[in-house]
Amino acid sequence: MSKYTANKNIITVAVAGNPNSGKSTLINAVAGTMLYVGNWPGVTVEKKEAEFEFQGRKIRLVDLPGTYSLSPYTQEEIIARDYLVHKQPDVILAVVDSTNLERNLYLAIQLMELDIPVVVALNVYDELEKKGYRINIRAMENMLGDKLIPTVATQKKGTDKLFKAIIEVADNPAAYRPKQLTYDEDIEDAVKYVEQYIKEKHPLLAEKYPLRWLALKLMEGDRQVMQETRLENEGFLAEGAVNHLRKAHGDDIEAIMADARYAQVTGLAREVLKKPDILKIELTEKIDRVVLNRFLGIPLFLMAMWLVFKLTFDVSMPFVDWADAVITGPFTRWVEVILGFVRVPGWVVSLATDGIIAGVGFVLIFVPVIFAMMFFITFLEGSGYMARAAFVMDRAMHSMGLHGKSFIPMLLGFGCNVPAIYATRTLENPRDKALTALLIPLMSCGARLPVYVLFVGALFPTHSGTVLWSLYMMGILLAVLIGIVFKHTLFRGEAPMFIMELPPYRLPSMRSLTIHTWEKVKHFIVKAGTYILAVSVLVWFLLNMPWGVKHKRDSLLGQAGQMVAPVLAPLGFGNWEAASALITGIIAKEIIIGTMAEIYIEEKKDKEMRTTPTFTEDLKKIGISFAAAVEDSVTNVFSTLKIASISTDNQAESRGLISVIQDTYTPLSAYAFMSFVLLYMPCMVVAIAMKHEFGTWKWFWIAFAYEIILAWTVAFVIYQGGSLLGLGG
Amino acid sequence: MNLALLKPGEKGKITKITASGPFKRRLMDMGMLVGELVLVKKVAPLGDPIQVAVKNYNLSLRKKEAAGILVEKID
Ligand SMILES: Nc1nc2c(ncn2[C@@H]2O[C@H](COP(=O)(O)OP(=O)(O)OP(=O)(O)O)[C@@H](O)[C@H]2O)c(=O)[nH]1
Ligand SMILES: [Mg+2]
Repeated sequence: MSKYTANKNIITVAVAGNPNSGKSTLINAVAGTMLYVGNWPGVTVEKKEAEFEFQGRKIRLVDLPGTYSLSPYTQEEIIARDYLVHKQPDVILAVVDSTNLERNLYLAIQLMELDIPVVVALNVYDELEKKGYRINIRAMENMLGDKLIPTVATQKKGTDKLFKAIIEVADNPAAYRPKQLTYDEDIEDAVKYVEQYIKEKHPLLAEKYPLRWLALKLMEGDRQVMQETRLENEGFLAEGAVNHLRKAHGDDIEAIMADARYAQVTGLAREVLKKPDILKIELTEKIDRVVLNRFLGIPLFLMAMWLVFKLTFDVSMPFVDWADAVITGPFTRWVEVILGFVRVPGWVVSLATDGIIAGVGFVLIFVPVIFAMMFFITFLEGSGYMARAAFVMDRAMHSMGLHGKSFIPMLLGFGCNVPAIYATRTLENPRDKALTALLIPLMSCGARLPVYVLFVGALFPTHSGTVLWSLYMMGILLAVLIGIVFKHTLFRGEAPMFIMELPPYRLPSMRSLTIHTWEKVKHFIVKAGTYILAVSVLVWFLLNMPWGVKHKRDSLLGQAGQMVAPVLAPLGFGNWEAASALITGIIAKEIIIGTMAEIYIEEKKDKEMRTTPTFTEDLKKIGISFAAAVEDSVTNVFSTLKIASISTDNQAESRGLISVIQDTYTPLSAYAFMSFVLLYMPCMVVAIAMKHEFGTWKWFWIAFAYEIILAWTVAFVIYQGGSLLGLGG
Repeated sequence: MNLALLKPGEKGKITKITASGPFKRRLMDMGMLVGELVLVKKVAPLGDPIQVAVKNYNLSLRKKEAAGILVEKID
């Protein structure tokens, strides 16, 4: 037989391991994928596949959610377990965090019980060496009977060796059967007894499951395996050798097994792991002393948030101005010129400039803001702070019957609510998941940011950071309040248990920061290019229907806006323009800006003095103004860090939309409007994500109903309360 | 004596785990076993949960649950 036919066409490798051991990072490094990574347990919540070629061989990697054992506790752990047990990959790649050897090997030896060849990556090897630890790899290989390769996934070190080993093992699986670690005699007797019973009475099950593994799980009383196999009512688990085991060690076989497994890995670690005599006080300890400090912890969290918003605003605003000037100025002119050149009818020119460029362009202007915000979020995700935030917030979350882990999806919601909804999978019970998902829309996402930036820039230029911060805080505070209300109405029941690992702090590399920031920003841009584009076109037609309508006020959209406006009047923004923009914003909140731009474009054009510079003049201006934007952005960062507030000087004439907003809104009504935008409903994509995750529209409708009521009430209180206090101005 | 009663900086050796069901299983999977040493490191700013070190890593759990882990204080 030639070697060629003996080799598998494509090698399927299941990547399994403890949460946060670096599985997704490793796959990204070798396969060039951009899987979601972050420094907290439970980032990957879905099985993801990636294919790549290594030395002429095709390899399919299956990224599994991390698990602590093969007795799943949460939904994403069940996904991992089911795949490993039922899908028969060619090789299991066990990714082990070598700085945390015992707990990681505890899972690895269970993976070896699945009767599939196992290759072990001793990942995070850089941190291990930094701590001064040493592992005797040869000795460990002999004890486990697996191939072991040290790796540093973040630096792509050791991966070539790793995949060479994987191919070798996949090509000759018989030679790399994992060693069966043997337990004490009475456990082994019981295993044999159960195996025998299954082979005789249920031969089908013996084929469907790895037999030894099945026997062990049945002895442990694993709920899910019991249900799947329907063996619950057969008495064999109280008879024969299993009964002897119970008599000798007590009834709790689960505990006996956990002890036995840990005894094995502890013994193994003692043999192979050398620690230095004096342990250094690690950086993580030092940072935690401050971040988790009893008195400083929470104020520091709030200040850090404030700084993030201030920096987001200051760094990105000059670029927003620049992009605004380019898109509304030269870019629009060029499109007009080109379209004029090919002699399309006037309405097409209007559709292109007043519809598409105004609608989509105004959304795209905010890419720098989104970028800055996503950059900070990505940094937080990679730093290890997420798990600390869960730790600090647990007590507060407890008051709404949730636990700290729910705070992680909520924080992720600041980037985008959609992945946040999926991230609720890491919560143990359905009640927590649903309640957390209901609160996520109150977390102000990146798409709402353009609205704030526009209004804050127009009306609160000197207090930008504080005003932005207050909106996000409002979201969190209302989430707590609403959570408490729900706890006493829809979601009665016990507060769940809380147990979570706190990973060490890590400094994310610039490379991974850029990649994962870009992944998030890309989503925003793609959205702008697809359905925001579609909605802009639709809005343009609605603003021009009935065909040839003189005033936009009388168009279809204008009429709809006029109908809704009175409802909004007590909130301080009862004009049809705001109402129309809010209606279109149901699809996605950044559309609010696009629609406003489309509505106000006429007025702006009239105000503008129309001289037509040449193409080269345009280009030169764009270049010079960009350089100025960079300079402004840098100076802003420095002045922020000195906590001196600087006012970006408003060149009102070049910023059409901003000046219209300054004319139409007072700071008070603008604040009421922003609060309304923050709260008024989950966007369409979130609605779909909720349906997808829960299989029912129920939660979306509940979220929809409470949010619209909440938004109106809050905006009403702000506007009316503020007016009474004389803030109406 | 139980784990919730230890102060930050104090160490204990687990003597019994009174929890049951899946939560007990999870505790054991994470290395909280009878005979194991646990060091209490911190209490969260709002008074709950606590952070402990076990098997060379950091774990956080609530006082209520920690009370179900009986320990013998070690100096
Ligand atoms: N120092 C160091 N850090 C690493 C290494 N591999 C991964 N990391 C970091 O560990 C953290 C977790 O990485 P992920 O790839 O998200 O871990 P995962 O195993 O996929 O985690 P889950 O999806 O939660 O199961 C990230 O912050 C990575 O940057 C490594 O070899 N060395
Ligand atoms: Mg992952």
